[in-house]
Amino acid sequence: MTAQEVRLCGLLLREHFGEVVEKVGRHLIRSGAQNLRTLLHETGISIDLVKKSLCVLVQHGVCVFSSGRKGPGSPTEYRTSCDRILRILRYPRYIYTAKTLYGDTGELIIEELLQRGDMTMSSTVKTVADRLTQNMEEGRSMDYSEVSSAFSKLVETHFLQRCPPMAAAATKNGAASATPATPATPGTPAAPVSTTLPTPESFPDCYRVPHVTLIGKGKRRLSNEDGEDQRSAKRAKIDSETHGDEGIYWQVNFERFHLHFRDQAIISAVANKLDQTSSEIVRTMLRMSEVTTSPTATCTKPLSANEIFRSLPSSYNIARPILDQYLTLLVDDPMEFVGKAGESGGGMYVVNLHRALANLARATLESVVQERFGSRSARIFRLLLRKRHLEQKQVEDFAMIPAKEAKDMLYTLLSQNLVQLQEIPKTPDYAPSRTFYLYTVNQLPTARMLLQNCYKTVANLIERRLFESKESKRLLEKSQRIEAILASLQASGAEPEQLTEVEEMITAPEKQQLESLRLHINKLDSAENQVDETIFLLESYINSTVTS
Amino acid sequence: MSEGPHLLNQNFNCVCVCVCVCVRIKELCQQFPHGITDQVIQNDMPHLEPQQRAMAINKLLSLGQLDLLRNSSGLLYRMKDIQSTSKMKGSDNQEKLVYQIIEDAGNKGIWSRDIRFKSNLPLTEINKILKSLESKKLIKAVKSVAASKKKVYMLYNLQPDRSVTGGAWYSDQDFESEFVEVLNQQCFKFLQSKAEAARDSKQSPMVQRNSSFATSHEVWKYICELGISKVDLSMDDIETILNTLIYDGKVEMTVIAAKEGTVGSVDGQMKLYRGVNPVIQPTGLVRTPCGLCPVFDDCHDGGEISPSNCIYMTEWLDF
Repeated sequence: MTAQEVRLCGLLLREHFGEVVEKVGRHLIRSGAQNLRTLLHETGISIDLVKKSLCVLVQHGVCVFSSGRKGPGSPTEYRTSCDRILRILRYPRYIYTAKTLYGDTGELIIEELLQRGDMTMSSTVKTVADRLTQNMEEGRSMDYSEVSSAFSKLVETHFLQRCPPMAAAATKNGAASATPATPATPGTPAAPVSTTLPTPESFPDCYRVPHVTLIGKGKRRLSNEDGEDQRSAKRAKIDSETHGDEGIYWQVNFERFHLHFRDQAIISAVANKLDQTSSEIVRTMLRMSEVTTSPTATCTKPLSANEIFRSLPSSYNIARPILDQYLTLLVDDPMEFVGKAGESGGGMYVVNLHRALANLARATLESVVQERFGSRSARIFRLLLRKRHLEQKQVEDFAMIPAKEAKDMLYTLLSQNLVQLQEIPKTPDYAPSRTFYLYTVNQLPTARMLLQNCYKTVANLIERRLFESKESKRLLEKSQRIEAILASLQASGAEPEQLTEVEEMITAPEKQQLESLRLHINKLDSAENQVDETIFLLESYINSTVTS
Repeated sequence: MSEGPHLLNQNFNCVCVCVCVCVRIKELCQQFPHGITDQVIQNDMPHLEPQQRAMAINKLLSLGQLDLLRNSSGLLYRMKDIQSTSKMKGSDNQEKLVYQIIEDAGNKGIWSRDIRFKSNLPLTEINKILKSLESKKLIKAVKSVAASKKKVYMLYNLQPDRSVTGGAWYSDQDFESEFVEVLNQQCFKFLQSKAEAARDSKQSPMVQRNSSFATSHEVWKYICELGISKVDLSMDDIETILNTLIYDGKVEMTVIAAKEGTVGSVDGQMKLYRGVNPVIQPTGLVRTPCGLCPVFDDCHDGGEISPSNCIYMTEWLDF
């Protein structure tokens, strides 16, 4: 929980849930596990609001509660962690991935689940069907069964998982989101005392689709119900039908998406370094090991060349000997994406996941140094990465850079903490004239430092975006009012002159300002997503070194 | 063999004997151009006393006609070149000593402080001698590239060694960075075009990869033929340039075993180089102004430098 992480989490919470939740969440992040009373006391917010904020946080899986430290009788404690909040930054990427893999239906399912935190299957299916029907032409509607099948596919490939059942929680009513579940009040019969909560995967039914009876089609909402709809969406939808899956809530399995992203990164790296066919081979290998490899494995399970040959997509009909050549080339490549694990079955090959992540992280570091300080500093940086420890003179000789400039660049890198100095004394008294000073680069600490910089960058971008909208708040409000007037005029069938008159109310420079504002905000948004890609690479690399 | 004969005082009673002995010794030296030992002189003139022999030898040494050397079995006397003898005419013993020391240093040269240690002469004397020798054009001073204030002395007609001048990359103590850059780019272009040709040939991948490799010898030949270098470059020089390309991330290297005698192999190995593509595109962080911001660490909310009033962001957004 570094300062940058806390700041970024605060901003994300504020954008998605509002200021009260932000305050509560920030407090929880900073102080660790706390019970309700301390929380009330320290944040100074009224108990209603605190309870509601905690509900929101628990609903989204951000906050978890467990029984207190002092034993079964003590008040429950609430805990939250930065990681889960930082995932919010990645929601667009998850939705986009679901769209590419499972089409619009998948996209909407994931979007709904991300928005609501967790939902039952039946309510998800209904909502998504309604939304899809809304966008289709008149007379057509989306069948529930199609949406259900998309849902089941998502569960089969482990993108969705069941929420772990909370023994201590009061049962949530069957309907979707907005009903706040009563938080575990002090004194409720407690769950077995364990500070580590069970992961969703420890339950055997984690990925089992329940048998639901869902027959029907999506309902198209008429346009005059739009206004009512918005209001009723906030109120609890009391659904009288039951579909046989009460109490079974589904959430998005972020880890699975992360594995997918990791595979994508490796495949595109192979495509950049070698060629398209090699990347297809690696894609096939990763696809085959999707379910057999654990998320923290160093490399995938060995696959024989025969199996790979059989599983290649049919559009790539390459001959068997050619495949062998490609595999040999992949193994010989200095990046070591693929390794050979044995000779049986025509050669057993594995994909070296951790090593690939380390190489990608290293390439990221090098690219940052290159863009920030120039290609000659990047040369020095790569030189130090390769040769580990070098003296000043050796750096100049190997990099073929004049002494003065090399010294300058090294000191700049040193001041930015990208390069470290190691002293090796010849005498016990560390006299400078009798000590070796060696320059070195440590990949892991540098990656951590860059990760913190990324968090700060994203927080800066979000702040700038909020600032820009605040600056033009008056203008935005005006344009919204005008749009509302226009829409109501159009609906009631006004003449074109009235419409143009209303449109004229926004002057041309204001239109330009609005346009540039829109561009700015889009740019900032897309920049956030780009920095998130870097964050993902660095985070995966750091996590892989922790477990190995 | 004792060194006694050389340190005996001159005995002027035997001057005329000395002259004959000197002549005889000179003839012996000419007979044995590799040098003669005391033993040889004794065998030739058995009647000669050690004292007289020593006197003769000392005389010849002081006249500068004989060279005194030491080998494993004792002392050796050798005829000195007439040419070099004439050079030293007019110089005294100290100068000859200093000259000897400098000559021994060969083409690496020797620093004035080291001359002082070896000759045990005071610094002022050394400087005087060095000046006079330089004016006689017998020695020269060469500035070392390692420490620009240090001057090493060597014989006038010797080529300074690479370690002193820095080799092909230095001209007059200046590192030629443009030259290195040009070579860098040329090598990279050569390797890149080779890799492209291999990729376009559409053969089986193994053949493609092998044909995209170039040995260091091939690169060396290409650079020599290009003729952009005024100085002769050796294969080692080209390899240092190729190493910088590796550190730029543009080239990768493998080592293969080669038969002795194939062109370009060193100790049964050959180094192969190949142009490569970068593994990832420039990463997301550097596409934002914050990734490249020089005042990143000073930026805080509500501070002088903050995201709200960041000029870099303003420029970037309006781009």
